[in-house]
Amino acid sequence: MKKPPAFFYKYKVTLALSAMILFIISLSVFIFSRQSLRLDEAQSLWQTSRSPLKIFNIIAQDVHVPLYHLMLHFWQVFLGNGVATGRALSMVFFVLSIPAIYFLGKLAYNKNAGLYAALLLSISPFMNWYGNEIRMYSLFTFVVILHQYFFLKLYKTADAERRGGYWFLYGLVSLVGIFTHYFFWFSLVSQALFYLFNKDLFQKGDFKKFLAVIMILLLAISPWLYYVLHLGTISNSSPQLEAPTTVDIFNTFSQFLFGFQIDYVNTILVSMWPLLVLFGFFGLQKSKKRPSSETMYFITALIVPMALAFIVSSIFRPLYLSRYLILSLPPLYLCIIAFLNNLPPNFKRFFEIVLVVVMVGMLFIEAFSAFTPVKENYQQATDYLTAHATADDTIVVSAPFTIYPVEYYYHGSSTLTTLPIWDRSHYGPIPPFDAATLPAQVATITQNHQNLWLLLSYNQGYEEPLRLYFDTHYQRLLVKNFSLDLNLYEYKLRY
Amino acid sequence: MRIRLFNSKKTPKDQKRFLNTTTPKGLVILNVVLLLTYFILLAFFFPIGNKVLFGLLIAGEVFHLWQLLTFLYTIWNTKGITPPDPNFHPPVDIYVTVAGEPKEIIEETIVAIKAMEYPEFKVYILNDGYVAHRDNWQEAEMVAQTHGVEVITRKVGGGAKAGNINNALRQTDNPFIVIFDADHVPHPDFLLKMMPHFSDPKMAFVQSPQYYKNYYLNEVTRGAWEQQELFFGPICRGKNRLNAVTMCGTNMAIRKEMLLEVGGMCEESIAEDFATGMFLHEHGFKSAYVGEVLAEGLAPEDFLSYYKQQFRWARGGLDLIFKYNVLFRKGLTLTQRIQYLASASFYVSGLIIIMNALIPVVFFFTGLVPVVVATMLLALIFLPYIFVTLYTLQGSTNFSYTFRSLAFSMSSFSIHLEALWSVITGHKPKFEITSKKKLTGNFLYLVKIHIVYIVLIAAGLIVAVHREGVSASVMANMAWALLNTVIFTQFIYLALPEQTPQPKETIEVAV
Repeated sequence: MKKPPAFFYKYKVTLALSAMILFIISLSVFIFSRQSLRLDEAQSLWQTSRSPLKIFNIIAQDVHVPLYHLMLHFWQVFLGNGVATGRALSMVFFVLSIPAIYFLGKLAYNKNAGLYAALLLSISPFMNWYGNEIRMYSLFTFVVILHQYFFLKLYKTADAERRGGYWFLYGLVSLVGIFTHYFFWFSLVSQALFYLFNKDLFQKGDFKKFLAVIMILLLAISPWLYYVLHLGTISNSSPQLEAPTTVDIFNTFSQFLFGFQIDYVNTILVSMWPLLVLFGFFGLQKSKKRPSSETMYFITALIVPMALAFIVSSIFRPLYLSRYLILSLPPLYLCIIAFLNNLPPNFKRFFEIVLVVVMVGMLFIEAFSAFTPVKENYQQATDYLTAHATADDTIVVSAPFTIYPVEYYYHGSSTLTTLPIWDRSHYGPIPPFDAATLPAQVATITQNHQNLWLLLSYNQGYEEPLRLYFDTHYQRLLVKNFSLDLNLYEYKLRY
Repeated sequence: MRIRLFNSKKTPKDQKRFLNTTTPKGLVILNVVLLLTYFILLAFFFPIGNKVLFGLLIAGEVFHLWQLLTFLYTIWNTKGITPPDPNFHPPVDIYVTVAGEPKEIIEETIVAIKAMEYPEFKVYILNDGYVAHRDNWQEAEMVAQTHGVEVITRKVGGGAKAGNINNALRQTDNPFIVIFDADHVPHPDFLLKMMPHFSDPKMAFVQSPQYYKNYYLNEVTRGAWEQQELFFGPICRGKNRLNAVTMCGTNMAIRKEMLLEVGGMCEESIAEDFATGMFLHEHGFKSAYVGEVLAEGLAPEDFLSYYKQQFRWARGGLDLIFKYNVLFRKGLTLTQRIQYLASASFYVSGLIIIMNALIPVVFFFTGLVPVVVATMLLALIFLPYIFVTLYTLQGSTNFSYTFRSLAFSMSSFSIHLEALWSVITGHKPKFEITSKKKLTGNFLYLVKIHIVYIVLIAAGLIVAVHREGVSASVMANMAWALLNTVIFTQFIYLALPEQTPQPKETIEVAV
């Protein structure tokens, strides 16, 4: 067999990383960017279409911090509006995350580990999903990777001058992180815990520097927190989450590795958890030393955020979502690499290949399958409405917040409203569902209309009573499903 | 196609680091907390499925609880004991027990013994070749003559190795004896490191590790040694602290007066060393463990020899429970009782392993399960417990414990069951010395039960899928079954015949 040319070896890493980046961009251009806008994305577009000050106001009432939304606002100011443009911003951070995780893996282990980590990230169905979503998650991932990189640099660098630089960069990235996502604090907690149990790794005086960074971060975030508390609407944000169960924890791991699959496939995947015990057994290999401090750190950075999110959700308020925990995804991949590195070479190669093949397979299933549970085909639904609903008809959307994606795509002549009726110009949360006032609300909506189109998605607990009300009071003409839990019903109001 | 699970070609630079054991106490505490959490939730809070299966599962878990708690208690502190007088060097008689081993092996040991740095010792070859009906029995006498050491050849048998030693006790004079199996070659500093411990007047015996220098030869030798690493590393070092060191029959020194007080080496048990150590402890005498490789022996090189060695140990261990009733013997402290029972009960684990392994099989054929619980909830309490346990095991052996070792221990369930059956039926086994030459042949008959298990799993899986499709329960049970299958495959692989068969060699000595 012919040997590859010399430049291949010289630029092996650059070529490999470029190929990975090309792969994710191709997937984005040809598949992901063509998918329908989803609720969260529509919300992002709506929120960022306001002035910066108004964005602050809207986000402060939401469950997020404002950095990404401001970036998206200015991104659109310069590059124009649109789904593809919005998604491109997320893609930029996903692309940047590829070399970032390579350097993190290289720093923690070696060049090959870095490359494999980059490969896993680039074929990750989860990352590819959020690398193409108009939300802050790919930015969050990128910032977390940088944060972990500089954290490791803090104790792996002996030179005082360079350490000073890394402290500055660590602080700077932390500052960006706390304005990217509230869960970034979990990353800081993980590092604090790691520091507490590994003080010997750090230099004298590092504790004070950590404290100083935390103080700066608290000072920086306090005006924002004051503003959020002052508005006092964060607890009313929708959609409301449910308290997590143990299933959610395993689903998180499953999603991090295999993406969003239909319930049946996901159930099969997670029910094979006893194989993890077998992998644990395989991990029993003669090793020259204990697991490295880097591996211990990645284990901490993987487990602590999940545990904290679970505990907080169980005790205070549900906030456990796998996408919020995306900060644990890079540590998961790096933990897997640490585990594989401990295996005999042949075995290691075998598992590396199996993992890549399975992940790529799952990535394509996620991308192409019409049954992928996170797909929200509002585009097709509204296209249908544009084609079939007339000026005499009215379109009712529920849950109310799903009005955003519908509004984005719908260009027909029917009136658009929500149930419960939500006046977005009115300050305050979405009105709750009230069965007693439902007939009056429906009467208001149906006045002077021929047909009513009811588009139901994001069940907030009152989807069934709503549907039953219309089924029992009006003649149902049509039912149509567009994606998982996105259903359209047509009712005859009058003849 | 055989999948190579282990990297057999590489030789770690530091092969004796298993002795450098310290386990963080925080890790031990965490392990206990996770273990108890898992056990309590499983036993008391989950809805019971099939009562019989649940009973079997809980019985198994009680056993695991016992094994793990005693292990964690043992490794809590593994610091060595410093002898009161490091310059205590009393005269010693050195016994080399021989029963037909090849001349070269005996010779190597004798040469090394003679090269030991020590003021006063006398060497005896205890030759049982004649009573073992070995054709080469005179070779031991020739070696003695060549190297100017004493030889005591028994002409009347009885008591196996213990009988051989007891016979020598009557014919030698020094107040301390050191025992080496024929293949265990001591280091020059063996006596200098071992004997000072006898400056404590209550010290009855001092044990050092039974290291296998042929560790790298093949999968069997590796597996045999890696199992020993856990025992001679953290476990023996922990037992040292608790004055409950296990006597291992070789690489050890004994105070003759105390040995005679307990009636010499125990001739009634197939594991004479184990029992004799216990008798010494129950007389209130002390023991010590020198956690340093001071002699190097040979591991069994083939599957049959390994099987027989393990059977002998299992049978002897079970004797301690069923014959000597270790838990209620007078004279032993509570700690010593626990330690002896913990060591001996290891050989009951085969019963637990097969019970657990059969749970997926029963599910496949009947759909019955021991507990009705969301598999994820079970995973959430089981996985942290098992991973921390594995990490503790690894950490306690200074990262020497291997999958191979675990697979050997788990797959040995068939040996343990055979030993248990032999104890229950009162069958008196023959004392078979581990062969010092590699035996070849088809040993698949020794792993029939493992093969049957895999066949049952395959058939059961078809039945289960036919019954309920590819359900979550089927997949979870399949994963458990696969785990067992991968582990048992290791044993089956070792039992397969090699290309060039050689004549079998077995040495048998009537007890």
